[in-house]
Order: sequence, then C-alpha cells, then structure tokens
Amino acid sequence: MAYIHFDAVTIDYPILNAGSMSLRKELVAISTGGKFLREPGAKVTVRALDSISFHIADGERVGITGHNGSGKTTLLRTMAGIFYPNVGTVTVDGRISTLFQLGAGMDPELTGYDNIIRMAILNGASFAEAERAIPDIESFTELGQFLSVPVRTYSAGMMTRLLFAVSTAIHPQILLIDEIIGAGDTSFQERARKRITAFMEQASIVVIASHSADLLSSFCRRRLRLEHGKLLEE
Amino acid sequence: MEIAVRELAETARNLRVPIHFAISDTKARYRRSALGPLWLTLGTAIGVAGLGFVWSELFKLEKSHVLPPLTIGLVTWQLIAGCLTEAPAVFYRQESLIKNQRIPTFSLSLQLVLRQVVNFAHNSIVILAIVAFYEPAGLLYLPLALLGAVLVALTLWGLAQAVGYLGARYRDIEPLVISFLPILFFLSPVLYTPQQIGARSSIILFNPAAYWISVIRDPLLGKIPPLSTYVWVALIAAAIWLIALQATQIGRRKLPYWI
Repeated sequence: MAYIHFDAVTIDYPILNAGSMSLRKELVAISTGGKFLREPGAKVTVRALDSISFHIADGERVGITGHNGSGKTTLLRTMAGIFYPNVGTVTVDGRISTLFQLGAGMDPELTGYDNIIRMAILNGASFAEAERAIPDIESFTELGQFLSVPVRTYSAGMMTRLLFAVSTAIHPQILLIDEIIGAGDTSFQERARKRITAFMEQASIVVIASHSADLLSSFCRRRLRLEHGKLLEE
Repeated sequence: MEIAVRELAETARNLRVPIHFAISDTKARYRRSALGPLWLTLGTAIGVAGLGFVWSELFKLEKSHVLPPLTIGLVTWQLIAGCLTEAPAVFYRQESLIKNQRIPTFSLSLQLVLRQVVNFAHNSIVILAIVAFYEPAGLLYLPLALLGAVLVALTLWGLAQAVGYLGARYRDIEPLVISFLPILFFLSPVLYTPQQIGARSSIILFNPAAYWISVIRDPLLGKIPPLSTYVWVALIAAAIWLIALQATQIGRRKLPYWI
C-alpha cells in the first residue's frame, strides 16, 4: 500500500553568496516569501518548511494551497525525494512520478521516438514498458511522421503534446503535480484534461499544488494549506 | 555513508539509465554528420599520423618505436582528460534534472564516464590497427589491457563524482581544472614513455595518470606491468572512491540548493 509520511519535517535553504552563483535566483526566492534566519557566521538561510507532519494514505487525493512562496513546490519536491529535510523524516512507499517542469532528459537533436525512450526510462520505466507506451503516445500526440524527426524541428505546441504524453504514459503509484501547465490549443487542453483525469484515477495517491480552487475542489477531498512554510490543514 | 551507499544501490538498480543515455548522447552529438561517431576514430587517426610523423622526424626515431606508445598514450589521455574536463559541471549542467526528478548523482557521473568510454571504444580501433601493424605480439595481452581500462574507468567514475560535487559548490573549480590539464598532460608519459626519461623520475612516481596509462599501454606493447603498478592503481582508486563517497554523503542534501 502506497503512503507518504512526514514527521516534523523542516527545510532550510542556504543562500550562497559566492559572487554571481545563482544570486539572482536566490533573490527571487527571498522576495517571494519565506522566513529569514540569520545564523552566526552570517550565512543566510530561508526556512521553506517549518516542522511539517502529516500522513497521506493509499487512495487519497490531496490538494495543496497557499500563496506564492508559501512552500507548495518545496513540499512537493520533498515528497519526491529531491530535497532532503534538515530535521525530521520523510517516508514514502510507492513508485513516484512527477509533473513538475516537463522535459527533463530531452535532447533536441534526437527524434521523437528516441526521446520517448529516454524520458520514459528516466521516469523509472523499463525498456519494455517504454516500448509498450509508444502506441498510446502516438495516438494521443497525433504527431504521426513527426515522431521520426528530431524534436528541435517541433513547434512549441507539438513539444508540449509530446512532453505531456510521455510524462503521463507510465502509470505511477504516487503522482505529484505542480500547477498543471496550460499550453497548446483549446482542443489539446480539453484532451489533456481528459488524459490527466484518467491518469490520476489509476494512481493510488495524487497530490496537486495549485492556485485554482475549481481544480482542487473537483479532484481533491483533502486540502493542505501552507502559510509561510507552516501547515494549516482544512 | 548512508546516503552515498543508497545512491550507489539506486544507480545499480537502474543501470540502464546511464548506459542508454551515454550511448544516445553520443548519437545525438553526431546526428547530422555523415560519418557519425566514426569521426572520433578518424580524428584520432589523423592526429596520431601527424604527431607520429613530426616526432619520428624530429628525434630521428623509427616510426615503429614511436607510433604504438604514442597512439595508446594519446587515446588513454583523451579518456582521462575528457572525464576531468566535464567533471566539475557534471551536476550543475543537469540542474533542471536534479531539481525536478529524484535521480542518484552516481548515475549522472557514471553517464559522463560511460560517454567517454564510448569515445574511447571508437578510438580503440586506431590502437588496434597500429598495434596489429607494428606490435602484433601485443594483441596477446589485449585482455590485460582491457582489465586496465576497466580499472581506470572505475577510478574516473569516483573522480568525476568527487570533482562534480566540488564543482557544483565552487564554480571556480571548472576553470581551475581546465587550466591545469595541459600541465598534467606534459607531466604524464603520453608523448614519451617512462623509459625515455628514466622510470624512477618523480614526475612518473607521483603522477596517478602515469599508472593509469601504464596499465592500458604496457600490455599492448608486449610488457606486463609489474604488480606494484596494479597495487598503486588499486590504492589510488580506493582513495578516490573514499573521497567520492564522503563528498556524496556531505553534499547530496545540499546539492539542489547549490546548483
């Protein structure tokens, strides 16, 4: 049975100020929220998550809400095992798939088919599973012959269709979604919504972070509300 | 060492990822050229022919004495230098991957080394041709040279991992490594052999690259390296891997914030 368990999890971001080392990005993180902590030695850290505990059981559909910079993305990435807690423990059971930033592992010089295999195995699929997913991706993307040419020739809309189809081709037990991307034409958006609904129905656990109250109320029975890195459950 | 060991185990479970990515990265790089990755082979052949000609004319040496050690030395050096050049950026160039996906960092450093091993395999065609022509007896020891190549690749994997963490934290490491590579090149027995400058010279004794070149080159020249060379290679590998595991243990939690 899949589950996600957080026990008093705290995450502090260190802010490195060595020259230009992604300083701009760090400034963006500061200006959009998070609480400042000043450690002795003048190393600045931002407390992104503050002693968060919860348990998500098999079958749950959970929505995460909160303002910009309240820690939604950090929370999802901690669930995915990307961020490691400074304090507390995270226990997760089940194969995780994430819909965060699409396109990790893609190479523009390779064909659509080559990239399907790359992205699928990066998501934890075996070669056989990746091959089996191809007919479904072919019919969803409607890219036809374009799947045999390098993806650098694709338009933005075609790229979105491919990335979205591959990310939703291998069925995970735990699905983490950060702000479903609204791209492509309207007919694509409609089909994307149908596909993601089907995709979500097959996962044991789904966690979505979003600002859209409509989306969350249609999918999720449980809400986690974040404010300045603290958890307020509704 | 808990995090580091878990990362290694995860990498081993998903070995298909670094292997497939190393091969398909190489395919992508040569996608639009007619010869494809055979350019690696041809480039090495042209380089060796040119250098071999100049060297043998300059020092009035027989080509049969110059070409085999020079070819093997250069190709092995390309493996070492290729890994060292890319190692500092191996993690921070993969920023979007590391920040969006759970991926063991050992898998990324292995992917880098395997990409260089794919290049090395293409270049080996030139080695085999030169050795078969000038030193056919060396081919008998081919398995020993392969063992050497595996030992070197494993060491370079640990090295790429350690340097990758250092490079992710301190962005000065990449230019630093690239500046020192030419010096290391001239200090290593690539263009010459240890015998030519006296095998007990300190630049040979204290240079890890000299041992790495030796375990690949000597067998193909029909000489079995002494046991002490293998002991040194093993000790260097053990030291580098200890540092790599420690770097992973300390750095893994912080890596997403560094890059």
